[in-house]
Amino acid sequence: MKKHILLLLIALALGLGACEPEFSNPIDPDNPDVSAGEADFSTYVAIGNSLTAGYSNGTLYLSGQENSFPKLLADRMKEAGGGIFSLPLLEDDKDNIGGLKIGNTIIIPPRLVIDASEKQVERINREPTQQLDIKPGPYNNMGVPGAKIYHLVYNGYGNIANLPAGRANPYYVRMASSPDASILEDVLAQQPTFFTMWIGNNDVLWYATSGGTGTDQTGNPNVSTYGPNDITDPGLFGALYAQILAALFQQNPQLKGALATIPDVASIPYFTTVPYNPIPLDDATAQALNQAYAQYNGGLQAAYQNGLITQEELAKRTIQFVPGRNAVVIEDEYLTDLTALGLPSIRQATPADLIVLPASGVIGRPAPGNPNLIMGVTKPLGDRWVLVENELAEVRTATHTYNQIIEALADQYNLALVDMAAAMEKLVSGLRLEDNSLYTADYFKGVETLPNLFFSLDGVHPNTKGYVILANEFIKAINSKYGSTLRKYNPGYYDSDIWILPAN
Amino acid sequence: MKKKLLLFVLSLSMLPAFAGGYRVALQGARMLGMAHAGTAMFTGAEALFFNPAGSAFLQGNVNAAFGLSVVKSTVKYQNAEYLWTAKTQNPLGTPFYAYLTWKHNDRLSFGFALYTPFGSSLKWEEGWAGAHLVNSIKLTAVYFQPTLTWKMNDYVALSAGFIAAWGSVVYNKDLNRFMRNEEGEKTDITLTAKNISSSGYVLSAAFKPADWVSMGVTYRSKVVFRARKGKAEINDAPAFFTHTADAFRASLPMPAELSTGVAVKPFKQLTLAFDYNYTWWSIYESLDIDFANHFPDNRMPKKWQNTSTYRIGAEYAFSENLDLRVGYYSDQSPIPPTYFSPETPTADSDGYTFGFTYRHGRYAFDFAFLYVKGHERTDSYDYYVEGLSAPRFDGTYVSNALVPSFGLQIQL
Repeated sequence: MKKHILLLLIALALGLGACEPEFSNPIDPDNPDVSAGEADFSTYVAIGNSLTAGYSNGTLYLSGQENSFPKLLADRMKEAGGGIFSLPLLEDDKDNIGGLKIGNTIIIPPRLVIDASEKQVERINREPTQQLDIKPGPYNNMGVPGAKIYHLVYNGYGNIANLPAGRANPYYVRMASSPDASILEDVLAQQPTFFTMWIGNNDVLWYATSGGTGTDQTGNPNVSTYGPNDITDPGLFGALYAQILAALFQQNPQLKGALATIPDVASIPYFTTVPYNPIPLDDATAQALNQAYAQYNGGLQAAYQNGLITQEELAKRTIQFVPGRNAVVIEDEYLTDLTALGLPSIRQATPADLIVLPASGVIGRPAPGNPNLIMGVTKPLGDRWVLVENELAEVRTATHTYNQIIEALADQYNLALVDMAAAMEKLVSGLRLEDNSLYTADYFKGVETLPNLFFSLDGVHPNTKGYVILANEFIKAINSKYGSTLRKYNPGYYDSDIWILPAN
Repeated sequence: MKKKLLLFVLSLSMLPAFAGGYRVALQGARMLGMAHAGTAMFTGAEALFFNPAGSAFLQGNVNAAFGLSVVKSTVKYQNAEYLWTAKTQNPLGTPFYAYLTWKHNDRLSFGFALYTPFGSSLKWEEGWAGAHLVNSIKLTAVYFQPTLTWKMNDYVALSAGFIAAWGSVVYNKDLNRFMRNEEGEKTDITLTAKNISSSGYVLSAAFKPADWVSMGVTYRSKVVFRARKGKAEINDAPAFFTHTADAFRASLPMPAELSTGVAVKPFKQLTLAFDYNYTWWSIYESLDIDFANHFPDNRMPKKWQNTSTYRIGAEYAFSENLDLRVGYYSDQSPIPPTYFSPETPTADSDGYTFGFTYRHGRYAFDFAFLYVKGHERTDSYDYYVEGLSAPRFDGTYVSNALVPSFGLQIQL
């Protein structure tokens, strides 16, 4: 009998061993319950620039493309009837170094990395492995790094013959369905049922990142007179934006989609990282420098007494160094031209001026060509290093007008509006997500800042986590507009993909 | 008789269908059969754990008991928002016990007890969503407890004992939610502290006012394990991550527990036992790992709360050689809302037990089976810090545990 009991008990124990705890509402990750709502995600096409392409760390690389927000969106749309999402992948960029070559010539540089030995950000010391290979599209991700609004309708933007003259874009050369197709034509050829359009950033950004070296073309719709760093005429911007939407809706009146607004340039670390007053001075040096500028300051006094400048400009231009932190000396073309008196248009920066990120490698170093002069101190920073107050105002005015146009058109076509301008504003003071995690618009300041970092090393484009947050912003807007239930991502689990190399 | 027995066992095997928890007390196969309600049960050497004073009322001059349990526990996790699912693949836990007590004279008896009152053995799936909180943990605590028992009269006995304790813990977690090395493997940290010694004490009283009733009360003090020379090891870190963590200090408390029990015999063959345990879990305020070098210290607030456990068990003397037992207990979770971490995911639980003793002369074989079911709990841990913020980890947990327990007793 003992034997029987034992056998019974063993059988019982084994039987129960198979019994696992079960949820009252178990979820099935392989069959998520996701609805498209009123939207039809079967053919999704993304229109845009570098932010749509997945550009990060100062270049486009393979893993960046795969983490582009349209790809992330498409992966979620797949759970709600979405179809295949093709990308112009840089397939030979196996190590995710980025950049492009034609033959042995590097036409686009590789990614930015941190050189821990030098404690500075630089291009990785490796050659791109990706040739400019022509792989005719069209592709679902039609994001082309560098594209401005007028490039979307420009036939020849993908023609390699136009590259030397700078009238083509190497990334679009790779992906255009034919050399003379336009981006819009390639979008239409796919007959999208859903689209996202985030365009206009470069129409102001390039002006800003160049320190305002271009021209504000507001009021001039003639693109043929534009340089690369100009602000696109808002009138032209509105006309082209409307034209593109009209073409899309003419083809498919049932089309659904999302438009995104343009963030304020002053919200990105490219403009917020280098302070206006980074020059530390002791008493003796400050006095010596004041001596050096005594002649300039004296000349300003004379100009004021002769009524050439106002008292306000006199105060603004007078250069004065003190012990402690000092503002950099900058060129400002908006000052009254006193060169006839031998007085350059220079002044010290104020908090209203934005020093560009690359200036961090310049300020305080010997001036090129004259090692006795110190950049930003005895040698004023040129236009390209500073977005001065007036230039910033131009950028903001244009951005604001673009956003009004985008919002009006989203309304007119009943499209979802992704307010990236508002999202970036939140990021500046700290963007708090539902799970209480926090992301900031700060530039990389060390390994311990990685969990909260949104931007990549170029200070303009998001890192991997940042793109995930962007994708969530699109998902939120799309779900709320169309009643879909696309699932959000958790950016916390994504590596920021900032490369910190022991040496470069 | 065979048939009766079969029916009895089969009817018990139906219990798990209704059943819930996975953190369990397993200090005697005989008492486990009746829900571990042993504070007023003076039937064998297991009393050295449940109520050392009760050993004064044992029959025979020498009583010994030893045994082993095999714990198969499973916890499942899911998060509907991100479609995360995970399950533990816990190694089998094998808590054991050994007790020896003898009567020196009519008044005085001695006891030696060796048992494992605390422990945890948890291993989550690789790459799961909560890996930044825990991948695996293995905690063992062994108590060695000599006791002195004084029988005041036929009705009352008192006992006092010393506890020498050894603990060890191996805890592995990912460093954070995102960091990977160049090969794409998550960076993790293993904390190892072995052979930590500590001490405590036990006091108890046993009352046997009549043949049909007995009562007991036992207080077991807290035992705090302080690891002073823990070893930390970071694995799969990317090249740039030059932080090293080698030594750490941490302390882990084993809480004090007060047990009171009463056992009654409504008729000769039947004994009913009731136990109430109060556990001072509030001592577990925080798990703080202080690294010896500049590696940032790890603080995990716990804020656990004191708990009550209610146990009810029955023993039926089926024949001269055979006792049958059954029991139920209800165990409270010490974890307050927002502190529910997957490293110790214990919800309120129900425990169902059955067991028997088969006697042969001086020997007795004890068997018990425990099924514990944790109540489904949707909760979060909100105090994991990553950089500037504390991202919440939330989800729903279910758990159960299946525990066969085997023991042998000898009475001389």
